[in-house]
Amino acid sequence: MTKILGIVILVLAVAVAVLPQFTNCQYEGKAITTAAGTTVPMKCLWTARAEIAVGVPLLAVGAIMMVSRRRSLKISSGIMGIVLGAFAIALPEGLIGVCSSAMPCNLVMEPALLYMGSIITTASLVGLVMAVRSKDKEL
Amino acid sequence: MNLLGLAQRNVRGNRFRSAVVFLCVLGLAGFFLSTTLIIRGAETSLRRGLDRLGADLLVVPSGAEAVVESALLMGQPTSVWMPGELVDRIKSLPGIAAVSPQLYLTSGDVLVVGFDPASDFTIQPWLRQESKSLGKGEVILGAGVNSTTGNFNIAGQSLVIKGRLDGTGGALDMAVFVNLDTAAEMRKVVPSDGTAPTPAGSYSAVLVKVKPGIDISKMALYMVQEIMGISPIQSPQMFAWFRDQMNGLLWGFITILSIIWVLAAVAIGLVFSMVTNERRRQIAVLRALGATRAFIFRSLLAEALILGTAAAIIGIVLAAAGVYLFSGQVSSTIGIPFLFPSLSSLASLLAVSLAMALVTVALAAFVPVFRVSRLEPAIAMRE
Repeated sequence: MTKILGIVILVLAVAVAVLPQFTNCQYEGKAITTAAGTTVPMKCLWTARAEIAVGVPLLAVGAIMMVSRRRSLKISSGIMGIVLGAFAIALPEGLIGVCSSAMPCNLVMEPALLYMGSIITTASLVGLVMAVRSKDKEL
Repeated sequence: MNLLGLAQRNVRGNRFRSAVVFLCVLGLAGFFLSTTLIIRGAETSLRRGLDRLGADLLVVPSGAEAVVESALLMGQPTSVWMPGELVDRIKSLPGIAAVSPQLYLTSGDVLVVGFDPASDFTIQPWLRQESKSLGKGEVILGAGVNSTTGNFNIAGQSLVIKGRLDGTGGALDMAVFVNLDTAAEMRKVVPSDGTAPTPAGSYSAVLVKVKPGIDISKMALYMVQEIMGISPIQSPQMFAWFRDQMNGLLWGFITILSIIWVLAAVAIGLVFSMVTNERRRQIAVLRALGATRAFIFRSLLAEALILGTAAAIIGIVLAAAGVYLFSGQVSSTIGIPFLFPSLSSLASLLAVSLAMALVTVALAAFVPVFRVSRLEPAIAMRE
């Protein structure tokens, strides 16, 4: 069962890192033009970049959950998964944020991160509970 | 070992086949719920929009029916207009109870609805009492319009926010409502669709309420005969193109759902046929040990239902969350407004989806399970 959870986390980790790079406002050709005429990226671009930093360690979490037979490793990867999943949600929801409601990032990027982050957090929580309750011995 | 324990062991015993059944039911329940939610959400939005409009007739310039409906429903820019004197001519017709002109402008992504607070009977009833006197330079915001301060800046003006409407899921959520004086100021700087501004004193549409007892269709016909260049749309026929689109979507969904349903049922049936064939000897031993046919039947059906329930619950949760989160994208992709159904409506949809998934699993598994439960132990043991 933890193998399946690991695969789910692994796939979603790739999506968390990659999807925002192609659904932010900058990618859609939108940017803020200042009074001086220069263009400044919108904040959803920084959220997209930060999600790479969440997605990469999540890959490791998924891989560990998938292949590891050590109970302690599974427990720690479960905890890491919960924290990183929460960060995947917190980045667009508050830490950095996304643009106003009518912008492209609001239609796909933000809901997708919320959706995937929730699944990652839930899957990690289930993995953690299973690892805590398991009788596997430390190798 | 009790019946449920045996069923659980069997589920765990053959993980691949359990996973196939699990995925089939998950997909079926998820697709059923998401399509139902989308159709129900569109209906809810349409109904709320029509309630909000609250007029018997929407009078627009002749030939501009679809354009005005698009503006009201999807917030698309419009530059249609009709001369202001038509409002007085409509008002003077016998059988008319109330007439209220509106002007539609678009600034960026925001639809601006200019209305006359003195004659309005469609917007103000939705506002709280204290917001009813909308003056020049004041604005009422739709549910989806963001503003963190007490003022709303649009088209070079800073308007004082006087109230906010409930969500409809349609373009009216992204609309701001101002009185005609404010709209007249904005009309100078806001081109309706990037083209020339509408002339002063003109309107985009006139909302009409007829006197009680008057036949609305006859009144619409009478209007067309009496006044040239207008087109009255009756409230029940409003957004007809949208209903057509929704019907097309509904049939598309029903077709895909039927295909998925049949495929899922066949796949589940096949998996259970394989499972029961493989376990003939095991079942024969159970029968020889004293298990009744009913026990065998119930244990195999319980196995199907355990898998079905778990898969359906996960599928339903994923689908509901997906539709809720991606409602904006769904709406813009399929071109219809969308409002997430109320909690009670959602609860009934969840229950129906769960029941549908369980009935499908039970029916698909019934034949192979029934056949194997009738098995004679001696024959099975000899095979």
